[in-house]
Amino acid sequence: MSTSTLTERYVHEVVRRLPADQRDDIADELRTTIADTIEARDPARPEAVEREVLSEMGDPIRHAARYTDRPLALIGPDLYPTYIRLLVLLLTTVLPVITVVFVLLEIVDDNGLGAAVGAGVETVFTVGAQMVTVLTVLFAVAERVGHRKGTLIRTTDWTPDDLPETREPDKGGIGVLMTAVWYALLFGLIVWQQISEPYRTDGVGERIAVLDPDLWSGWIWPVLTGLAGLVVLALARVVTHGWTSRLAVLHAVAQALFVLPLAWILHQRQLFNPDFLADVTDNTTPEVYTGVALIVLVASLIAVVKSFRAAGK
Amino acid sequence: MATEDVALGQAQELRRGTVVLACLALLRKPQYGYALLETLNDAGVTVDGNTLYPLLRRLEKQGLLTSEWNTDESRPRKFYRVSPEGSRVRTSLVREWQDLVTSISRLTKENG
Repeated sequence: MSTSTLTERYVHEVVRRLPADQRDDIADELRTTIADTIEARDPARPEAVEREVLSEMGDPIRHAARYTDRPLALIGPDLYPTYIRLLVLLLTTVLPVITVVFVLLEIVDDNGLGAAVGAGVETVFTVGAQMVTVLTVLFAVAERVGHRKGTLIRTTDWTPDDLPETREPDKGGIGVLMTAVWYALLFGLIVWQQISEPYRTDGVGERIAVLDPDLWSGWIWPVLTGLAGLVVLALARVVTHGWTSRLAVLHAVAQALFVLPLAWILHQRQLFNPDFLADVTDNTTPEVYTGVALIVLVASLIAVVKSFRAAGK
Repeated sequence: MATEDVALGQAQELRRGTVVLACLALLRKPQYGYALLETLNDAGVTVDGNTLYPLLRRLEKQGLLTSEWNTDESRPRKFYRVSPEGSRVRTSLVREWQDLVTSISRLTKENG
């Protein structure tokens, strides 16, 4: 009696995953086939053989899939390329745009730097997670619907026109010039705010610098030297049409000169003029300074690694 | 060991398509699943039940086989046989097979 239940249970497990109109037919055939196989093998000890035969037939889910051609993958090979392409597009273009918008909204609302950074981080994680989830669910559904119809919608009508432009190994050009301009601008801003003291305090109307003037007898010099070095190196890269290993080493030195003191200043909360902070009523927490210091360090590290990779090619 | 596994895998790939042809050839006479499996394996066309039974259903769905339940014996059995369309497909597959044998034997002789 127990022998028939084992087969029955197996058959049931298989056919309940099949379309209703085929269930009875396949169930009957499976039962006969299993019985035939057991009988042919060794009718003397049916229970042991039944166990053997059923384990050879394998996982009922897999066995049922053989009858239906139903996909055993969440997203099959037909949809996978489109899925990945869309995912990358969303995460690298749409997500940053949304994040910037949210950060700008916080700034416009005048909620302070901490709130802005917080909104940015939160947006990246929550919106990013939502994008991944929704896209995955949509594609998994499309995979199943397409399979049921028997005509998987091939969204991947790929033509050679879809090929992305080969990324030239950073051959100077606009991108590098922009880098030079950015560093030069930063350099200029630091010097300008010290010389022309652009901020006017509310009360007395006294003109003060935004950054801490004490920096000028210390940490600002390596920062400025590093920035100047980065400008020169970016210009040199335009001339050499890309990274050379010597440029990469010099770039690493300049980055270190620029970023390490800057991170230290940020971490010590010595960046801004205390008078300026008192006037704008600073409500950022110390963690934000350390956070920004870390972000600056990581960004710089990535730039250095990239430059060495490009030089190695 | 690894080479043996690779050879085994490649041999399986090679055999895969021939099971269809063997079924279409054997099922000129009606036959049920397990008996067909035995006949095939005896004839040297090694195939697994897990592959054969779903394959028979697929061929039936494609219209190459027809089936009928026979309830005369102690167990009801589903008998498959080749449909007229299945016969046509078999003829063209046989031709394809012979062409392959000719080309491959010429190739392996020249380069062997």
